[in-house]
Amino acid sequence: MADLREGEARAAAAGVPSGRRAGSGRIVISGMGAVSAAGMGVEELWRAARDGVAQVRALKTQRPYDGRIKIAAQVPAFDPSAHIEADVLPFCDPFTQYSVIAGDEAMAQAGFGRKDLAGPRTAVIIGTGIGGMTTIDNGLYNYYMETLRPEPLTVPRLIPSTAATTLGMRYSCLGPTFAVGSACASASQSIGLGLQMIRFGLADKAIVGGAEACVINGTIRAWEALRVLTPDLCRPFSKGRNGMTLGEGAAVFILETLESALERGHRPLCELVGYGTSSDAKDPVRPDVAGASSAIAQALRDAEMAPQDIHYINAHGTATHANDITESEAIISVFGDEFGRAVPVSSTKPVHGHALGAGGGLELAITISALREKIAPPTINFLEADPRCPIDAVPNVARKISIKTAMSNSFAFGGINAVLIVQALDHDG
Amino acid sequence: MTDNPQDRAKLVDEIVEVIASEGMIDRAKVTPDATIESLDLKSVDIVMILTALEEKFNVYIPMDGSLQEAKDVKSLIAAIAEHITKEREKS
Repeated sequence: MADLREGEARAAAAGVPSGRRAGSGRIVISGMGAVSAAGMGVEELWRAARDGVAQVRALKTQRPYDGRIKIAAQVPAFDPSAHIEADVLPFCDPFTQYSVIAGDEAMAQAGFGRKDLAGPRTAVIIGTGIGGMTTIDNGLYNYYMETLRPEPLTVPRLIPSTAATTLGMRYSCLGPTFAVGSACASASQSIGLGLQMIRFGLADKAIVGGAEACVINGTIRAWEALRVLTPDLCRPFSKGRNGMTLGEGAAVFILETLESALERGHRPLCELVGYGTSSDAKDPVRPDVAGASSAIAQALRDAEMAPQDIHYINAHGTATHANDITESEAIISVFGDEFGRAVPVSSTKPVHGHALGAGGGLELAITISALREKIAPPTINFLEADPRCPIDAVPNVARKISIKTAMSNSFAFGGINAVLIVQALDHDG
Repeated sequence: MTDNPQDRAKLVDEIVEVIASEGMIDRAKVTPDATIESLDLKSVDIVMILTALEEKFNVYIPMDGSLQEAKDVKSLIAAIAEHITKEREKS
């Protein structure tokens, strides 16, 4: 409790709403894990993104699909019982399964055993756009179409916070535990909130990220109805783009202070230095330059950085006509006409799809890998520059560049914007 | 199919009908030069119009640049007609 009061008092005294020096010092990412269309693991995801190998395949659904979009970036078939215990699995919708697998990878990389984060000082925040959509879809289908008795575990499986509570039970975390539901900003907001909670002394460590598993009949048909899906190729920032491809998966990160990581002799992956979030408060589906710009600017302020400090941006880059123009304008408005056009900005969504509530997490895992390997992954399927998107989209081919600091953007329906900034740690710590 | 002026006129007429009914606007106001803005058509209205056209013509019309950039009824119809024609040629 003493820490909590001290953290709060220091923040208030400094008069800085979210300055990173106001709270508990530097926050690092000690481990990360991912499940995506590239399979299990961050390495698989990163290799696909770096090498520009699209993980978009013919759509596979449990029941016949009558829609027009026949492609998606789905997690390849796997045996969940190889990863999750028999007494836990019945409670796990696919979005929770992905979270558990990504969580175990992140914990192992962070050097933590199952019980090392036990207790009230670890928070668990896992964002999701919908939660257990597969459970909902199957439940409704069986009830209305087959007049079957509902699956008894339907309710605990479909709850959006089940990914967070399942991880909490797995690692015995007793701190603040919840889901963030902010559509495609869910993962990024969860990660940002975890950062703030540690800074302000509400937790010592945080297990954060995002998960989504809704590439199934009901949802893909609904996305199709919104007309934001491409029938062929997702080509962000390119001329001729006509929409996104749905994806799914989960990404989980372990946050702690640099001090605590070094004390236990662990070398973290990177520092999480900035988080900005804002709302357009304008349109349910149309993005807005002012809202996106304000989140980018806030993240820079939070990191106490200038635009020139950012060496790579992993864009939201959905390849919808509107998003890519708005995002380009937002970047240029904050970074300036010259640097905004020069900083490498790529969208890796054509590779792993738009994973919605998991999107910001998968993309942060790629951003961190880009930072560590000093390679900007490409924007694939790029045909020709669109004058309305006058940024350097790293078209089609990865680029070896010196990246010390990188930004990841997530912009959601409803106008919620979230931006994260990560920085490489010097080898002398 | 749209090489035939009569077919083209029929297609345009059907599209105008859908714009009026789904956009909830007086058909007489849906003139070629009327701007999207003057008809108060929001992005969600366009989605509703496209969905109705999908049902009617059995096609998928993604929201690409030609649709998003359309400022008046004329260009909106041209973009939609092009998609429908392309889809028909494919099938």
